[in-house]
This record gives sequence, C-alpha cells and structure tokens, in this order.
Amino acid sequence: MPTIAIVILILFSAVLAGVIVVRPAITASSAGKILAFGVLFFLPVFSLVAGMENEMRRSESTAFCLSCHIMEPYGKSLHIDDPAYLAGAHYQNHRVPADEACYTCHADYAMFGTFRAKLGGLRHLYVYYLGTPPLPQDIKLYKPFNNRECLHCHLGARSFEQGATHNADPATLPAIKANTLSCISSGCHDVVHNVGRWGDKVKFWDGGS
Amino acid sequence: MRPGDSMGRRLRISGILVILGLLIEAVCLLWSRPIAFVVLVAFGGALIGFGVLFFLYSLVSAPPHPADSPAVIPIEK
Repeated sequence: MPTIAIVILILFSAVLAGVIVVRPAITASSAGKILAFGVLFFLPVFSLVAGMENEMRRSESTAFCLSCHIMEPYGKSLHIDDPAYLAGAHYQNHRVPADEACYTCHADYAMFGTFRAKLGGLRHLYVYYLGTPPLPQDIKLYKPFNNRECLHCHLGARSFEQGATHNADPATLPAIKANTLSCISSGCHDVVHNVGRWGDKVKFWDGGS
Repeated sequence: MRPGDSMGRRLRISGILVILGLLIEAVCLLWSRPIAFVVLVAFGGALIGFGVLFFLYSLVSAPPHPADSPAVIPIEK
C-alpha cells in the first residue's frame, strides 16, 4: 500500500474518531455503534499494521540506510568508478537491486535473516542516538561476512562455477562453498567499501539512482 | 452520574488516544528518518493500542441495556 494512501486513511480515521469524541451520543443508535467499532477498533488497527508494514519495507531501502549521517561514505562507495570495488560494481551494474543495495548483501539469507537484520537496525539506532557511534571507517561487521550471502546469487552461475581463478586450485571452489575460504579474503574480492582508504585518485560515477 | 455519561466519557478518552496515535503515525510515515520507525511503534502504536483497548474495555464494562435485563414479575400475594 503506498505511503500516501496510508496517510490519507489515517487522516480519514482521525476525522471520524474526532466525530465520536465531539458527539459520543451518536453511538446510542445501532449505526453509531457500528461506526464507533469501525473507527475506534478496526480502522486504527488496520492503519497501524499498514503503517508498520510500510516502515518495515522502507527500512530495506538504500535511501533509508544512507539517511544516517555515519553511512554517507558507504553510500558514496557505491559510486566509485572502479570495478575492483565490490560494492560499487554490484550497485552500478544492478547485480543487486539499486534501491535495496545495502539490505540485499547485509541481510542473512537464512530463516530468520530478515528478523535479525531488523534487530541489528534497532541496535544501530541505539548506538547512533544514545551511544557513541564509531567513525565510518571504524565500523565493523558483527560477524565475518558469510559466503552464503554471495552464493545466494552466484552459486550455479557460469562466471562463478567456471571462473579461472576459482578453478585454478581444485580445493578453492569447495572451500568457498563451505564458507571456509571467504569471498572477501585477502587477495580475492577484498576491496568492498574500503571507507577511509580511498586515497586521492579514486573517481566517482555520477549515474544511478 | 448516568451510565450514558460514563460511556460517553470513555469513548472520548479512547477516541483522543486513537487520534493522537494516528497523527503520530502519519507524521512518522512522512518523516523519512530511521528514528521514525521507533517513534511510530513506541508512541503511535502505544497510543493506538491503549485507545483500542480502552474502547474494548468500555464495551465490556458498560452496564447492561434495560431491554436486556430480566423482566421483573410482580409477585401476587
């Protein structure tokens, strides 16, 4: 449901609730009782559920993640004009949905991955507003990046399965799939966001959303 | 105080709680900041929840309608 539709529904509900507040006597009739039930029970509960669902969806958007000041350099890294930068290459080439770039890679593709991502978001909010947020370059993942998140898309893809580097050593591909060799380990795809280590020569692509 | 007055007062209170909660929710939906979700749940959701629960409580605690009362049959002596 679009945000504006929910807001209109909320305002409509509030106006009807205002009628009950001003003239509670109208609930004496059967029609008034039905109105009161709709206005003071059904519509508020529906509006709340729709609003929360809308907020949950919005929290998955790239714009939402980057609305925190501390995340700005990470958003900027998505526009680095260098294919060696993993996050930027994925974002610019739409290997991940551009409007859900952060969430696509940083939510676990496991049963409770979405739930854990939301809990992590609440923790970020706590640190951001009530704690001492670290510098952008000092932000670390809570746990090492799991290859599962990469393999969700790349597993079975020809470029991955038959890639020359992946097959140079017969032990490499099984180790990647078993998550014993990280995709972003040193010497592989280890340039991801690299916030704070860009240097002066890095260029930015001004396209995209 | 008449029973209708009490019911009307409870409807007013639950209506005001619901209106405040709905307005907070509307503001949060238009306010695209991460804290908006927390405000929506913690304040908007709580006010709407209290309003709805108070409305339901007012329904179950309302005195029975006279028509629903058992008829009083005079005992003939």
